[in-house]
Amino acid sequence: MNFRRFTALVGSIVGVALIVMVAFLGIYAWPAIRFNGWHFLTQNNWNLGNLYANPITIRGQQILPAAHYGILFLIAGTLLSTAIAISLAVPVGVGAAIFLAEGTPPMLRSWVSLFVELLAAIPSVVYGLWGYVVVIPFLSHRVYPWMAKYLGFIPFLGGHTGSGYGLLTCGLVLTLMIVPLITATLRDALVSQGASRREAAVALGASRFETVWTVLLPEVRRVLIGSSILATGRALGETMAVLMISGNAVNYLPHNIYAPISTMASFIVSQLDSALTDPTGMAVRALAEVALALCLISILVNGLARVLLYYQDRHSAGV
Amino acid sequence: MATTATEICAPDRRARRGSLLRRRLFDLVGWGSSALALLLLGGAMLWILGVVFLRGLSALSPTILTHVTEGYGGGLLNAIEGTAVLALGGVLLAAVPGLAAGIYLAEFDAGRLAPFIRFLADVLVGVPSIVIGYFGYVTLVVDLGWKFSVAAGSLALAIISLPYICRTTEMALRQVPRALRESAYALGAGDARVVLGICLPAALPGILTGILLALAISVGETAPLLYTAGWSNYLWTGHLTNEPIGYLTYAIWAFITEPFSSAHALAYAAALLVTLFVLIISILSRTILEGWRRRSPWERPAL
Amino acid sequence: MKRLKSITVGVLTAVIAVLAVAGKGAMSSASPLPTPPADINILETGSSLLYPLFQLWIPYYTKANPGVRITPQSTGSGTGIAQAVAGIVQIGASDAYMSDVLVRQHPLLNIPLCISMQMVNYNLPGLNRQHLKLSGPVLAGIYQGQIRYWDDAAIKGLNPGVALPHHLIIPVHRTDGSGDTFIFTQYLSFSTPAWANSVSYGTTVSWPPVSGGLGAEGNPGMVTAIQDNPYSIAYIGTSFENAIEKAGLGLALLKNRNGNFVLPSAKTAEAAAAQMVPKTPPDERISLIFAPGADSYPIINYEYALVSRQQPSAEMAAALRKFFTWAISPRGGNAPHFMKAVHFVPLPAPVVKLSAAQIAQIH
Repeated sequence: MNFRRFTALVGSIVGVALIVMVAFLGIYAWPAIRFNGWHFLTQNNWNLGNLYANPITIRGQQILPAAHYGILFLIAGTLLSTAIAISLAVPVGVGAAIFLAEGTPPMLRSWVSLFVELLAAIPSVVYGLWGYVVVIPFLSHRVYPWMAKYLGFIPFLGGHTGSGYGLLTCGLVLTLMIVPLITATLRDALVSQGASRREAAVALGASRFETVWTVLLPEVRRVLIGSSILATGRALGETMAVLMISGNAVNYLPHNIYAPISTMASFIVSQLDSALTDPTGMAVRALAEVALALCLISILVNGLARVLLYYQDRHSAGV
Repeated sequence: MATTATEICAPDRRARRGSLLRRRLFDLVGWGSSALALLLLGGAMLWILGVVFLRGLSALSPTILTHVTEGYGGGLLNAIEGTAVLALGGVLLAAVPGLAAGIYLAEFDAGRLAPFIRFLADVLVGVPSIVIGYFGYVTLVVDLGWKFSVAAGSLALAIISLPYICRTTEMALRQVPRALRESAYALGAGDARVVLGICLPAALPGILTGILLALAISVGETAPLLYTAGWSNYLWTGHLTNEPIGYLTYAIWAFITEPFSSAHALAYAAALLVTLFVLIISILSRTILEGWRRRSPWERPAL
Repeated sequence: MKRLKSITVGVLTAVIAVLAVAGKGAMSSASPLPTPPADINILETGSSLLYPLFQLWIPYYTKANPGVRITPQSTGSGTGIAQAVAGIVQIGASDAYMSDVLVRQHPLLNIPLCISMQMVNYNLPGLNRQHLKLSGPVLAGIYQGQIRYWDDAAIKGLNPGVALPHHLIIPVHRTDGSGDTFIFTQYLSFSTPAWANSVSYGTTVSWPPVSGGLGAEGNPGMVTAIQDNPYSIAYIGTSFENAIEKAGLGLALLKNRNGNFVLPSAKTAEAAAAQMVPKTPPDERISLIFAPGADSYPIINYEYALVSRQQPSAEMAAALRKFFTWAISPRGGNAPHFMKAVHFVPLPAPVVKLSAAQIAQIH
């Protein structure tokens, strides 16, 4: 076998691993998918059923009485926390990238950007620890009551501020975790913009900031969108930090921004052991369906980002 | 003398002054908010590192580094050893397939297989690690009967690290100039010699960065290990299956929620060790990359 | 170049060698590294209620029995059941016995090791030193969201003369698969038909969504939850009574089947046990909840060790039999100083016999 074929064979393990995983999840979750139908995505009722009663047969599947698997609250929690995270991360990320690319002297630039990028390297569980130990007390005692009092007229921002475990806390911590992804890519893109566009703008009398805002940023728009989508993908899959600070809500939607939530990823971790006590095995398959749904959403989001970034690679003139 | 666009276009002095004021304000707001953004990030970073380092350092003691965990207290020796075993195991398992994939994508990118593998690798990066852990639990731990084990944990970590090693290897190899390859082929070298003898050594810093990245990711993972490696209060006895193993991130997650200060000390110390390790690796790989960029006489890497 | 080539070849050979050895090791499950003389490694996981007792037992037992290593984990009874069933651990600790269906599928032994109790705790600023009177129907109302405020007529009716605040109640429940949830919901089910027909009992139940309600993991998580949240209420095992006292939190008097309000104590637990022991079947799967008797405490339960009848080796079986025999002995694990430390009660003599009979089945 020649070298080419050898590397192709061994290298395709990467692809095989992914395909095997998704296929396995699909096959394993199939009974649950058939049993749940579309209600899985539209209903707010996750119930393992009466674990101490005898199984009954519904629609050809053996399940426990009162068992029902509807994860609308998980989808809501996942999407809402990610939405908050990305809507905060993009402005902060763009601002930081601009300052890093244009506002810091080149000597300092790599050190300061290293400092910011280290934010992305910190493990999720350490973020969870920090959130659990200092951020939640700080937010619930100082920030949230203030917010509910003075900003309470805005819908979702008023009402009971709860214990600090909830949607906004998750959103804030997730923001920190994903901002470096946007900042790093955007900063690299801004720095690598050619001199001619810059010089043209300055020649027309634009200030430094105006150059960035009106000339450079539009050029790197696609990189911004691509990296934002990648960051979204990361936020969607975050597990440990969310598990420790989200409040682990089950079967209800958050009524305001401080209310507890659950995300699909954190739900799998917290419910797997309970699901394993279901003698019919349907609960575990329903969790596999959650994992499959999460996997597919991530694949979709990441695929989109790759297409956009790839298109930018091929399209950019790179003056 | 009118020299700037504003001055040329504005009809009179007052209008010129007004729009100049507006532009200055725009500049101020713009720089101000971007500086604020950077400060927010820097501040948050300092806050996290501050909490982890201050509490971690005060919790660190010789006992923690030399004893194994006993219930809610004791030390972290078993967890430190476990993290090392799992992370090295994961990287070792992922190194060969990852390198092979990276080599294939960079050197032999003709036809449809290479873009397909590249796409799958990119997709695999985005799969949440808990999904990989769940998959590992159902197939390796239960179905194959490995139970909680080093094998299951390392395999899960390997699947997570694979795409990173593949991508960084590919990018590093692409930086090697074509001329080098062509001259090697011209001298009669075969594929294997060109890649392994010429290109790999030239791209070594970039490849090393990828391996270090995989190591850092493996050290920091928790969710997949919860369901593949389990937890053990004892040092590893060398069994690859049927025996669980401890790891630092478990200590962080499980012990911080206990209402006992000895447990908290373990959690903080573990957080400190993990964060320190990850930071050192990140700085190390950045230094290697920068050194390589500065020393190489070739074109500046694009991305 | 030659040197680089030999280095690369050397590294690749080393990698392949390690992988080969590792692969061989994985296949035969033998250790590729030199091992110390074979220790018996017993893994225990499960009930966070039983965990503090295991932590007192293990250092004592392993010192007296070198050659045995026991790793305990506090993960919740749901995990104890799941991992015992999957064969991942040798001992699954659970406050809840296995269901009929599960035991038919996986005939594990459910061996009671001792009798434990559960408290209902609350955090009412200013009122934590008093013991509030609560009953099953009132607790069911709280956890269903029908009773929203502390000064609700139902609670006031049970506690005349107590200045209850007008404040929302924050009911805290367990999010993990929990034996504490099992026994608490059994108390609610047996005392309140409305609860039995809607939520019923189990290690995991579908908790009715109550605005402001919280979830916590493990008994320690429950303690932390009510510590951090004034006006909250939670169900916590008595092995955490010291932590509750230290935190200055409240302990409720619960209404038993006879209508009396009792506190968890050795006396009230033994009174309840005395009623239920004669009814205990040979497989020892029985609920002790809501026992009759004037002094009976309504929430007591057997702490079960879930074990396989068939063990992979004779040494493991012998080690397990020895450990369990020590654990249920009134001079070993059930000795007064162990029991008092966690506020549990030793197994009555007839139950010790039944447990011993089950232990003998481990081979």
